[in-house]
Amino acid sequence: MIRYSLSTILLLLAAFVAQQFLPSFTGMHHSRILIVQLVFLCCAVTVGPRTMLLLAFLGGFFWDAQCWLAPHGGDPEIYTQPVESLRFGYSILLFGAIGALMQGIQPLFHQGKWQFSALLSGIAVLLYLAAEYAIINFVRGNPVLTRATVMQMAFTAWITMLFSPLVFWLLFRIARTCNHSINPEAGRRRQREY
Amino acid sequence: MREIQNAYYSAMAPFLKSGSQLETQARDFLKETRHSKELEAELEVTREQLGSLRLIESRFRALEYENAQLRHALDFKKATHFDVVAARIIRRNPTTWWQTVEIDAGSKRNIGTQLAVLSNEGLVGMIDRVDSGGERSSVLLLTDEKCQVSARVEGSPEVGILSGQRGGFDGDPMLRLRFLSPNAALRTGQRVFSTGRGGTFQANILLGTINSVEKGALDSEALVRPSVNFADLSAVFVVLSSDS
Repeated sequence: MIRYSLSTILLLLAAFVAQQFLPSFTGMHHSRILIVQLVFLCCAVTVGPRTMLLLAFLGGFFWDAQCWLAPHGGDPEIYTQPVESLRFGYSILLFGAIGALMQGIQPLFHQGKWQFSALLSGIAVLLYLAAEYAIINFVRGNPVLTRATVMQMAFTAWITMLFSPLVFWLLFRIARTCNHSINPEAGRRRQREY
Repeated sequence: MREIQNAYYSAMAPFLKSGSQLETQARDFLKETRHSKELEAELEVTREQLGSLRLIESRFRALEYENAQLRHALDFKKATHFDVVAARIIRRNPTTWWQTVEIDAGSKRNIGTQLAVLSNEGLVGMIDRVDSGGERSSVLLLTDEKCQVSARVEGSPEVGILSGQRGGFDGDPMLRLRFLSPNAALRTGQRVFSTGRGGTFQANILLGTINSVEKGALDSEALVRPSVNFADLSAVFVVLSSDS
């Protein structure tokens, strides 16, 4: 169990490295594969709440470290209405929220129905992006929602979800290597059948 | 015997004629086939040569383009009165919501945060972050909502704050010039320059041209088309200091 939990942390850190090699698709409304969020979501459904929260903290912390913008820094007498930045650490809360969502369907995953988790990972990414964009609109005021933004969020969620079976396959392999079962009920059922 | 032979041949003459014609035709056909095979082989070789020449030509065009760009950049570097460092864009839009690019120059080349970044067409943005390794920096583009520039309109007393627009990733990005006077008399095509006030950007850097004006009760706003083609940007210059 501990070995598996440590492996998920390492996998999440590896996802940050992989994210650096995934550019945005200009032809698809600048959508991208959010491999960090995907790995977190897939791991979240396979671990307990405490490990999920630890993963959410690490994922959100490093994600903010990657994406945070510095303040403008110009003369406040000239730039009287600076554009607000997102506070460092907000991603930890978002990661925690989508992680809790994945934990909600953990019983289904334990029965071996990982397909629902794969589908939910896409929905969770969409919710994550929508929440992030809503926060940006909230802190900056003057809400704007263009068709291009909606398409960007939808395509990002969709193409990210397509990679979830691969991540689940990887997690099953890691779990087997660590002699740990991430869907114990399905395992017991298989044993009874034999 | 000869007579018999003659009779035989006279009887066979039409067939012989047809046969010889057929043979000639067959020979011609075979010759043609052989020839067409040769031609085909020749055509194949020619095609290969053409493909290779096309490759060479495209490489030549790419080099010509790169040469023109570098020449342009060199001219810009010579002509500008700023102390600048040239850099290449190595990564575009690494984050989801912010419009940023990464360049291959950092603190090792005296680049720090909040320095203006130019191209030969105008203002590109400002340095947002310098990597600890000192070899890379992140540039916040002018098209991002957070990048604000104090701006003036050429041939007019109007000054305002220019910034990008939220969610303006697709198509032709437009900038918004805010806090203009309610009766701002602006016309399409007027150029917009930086004022130099505010401490980040030097004065008289071209930002764009007025596209349209939206008049309000308290103030007016103008949509500005950026002078820089952000989609085609490959080399930029970081302004270290202004020696003017």
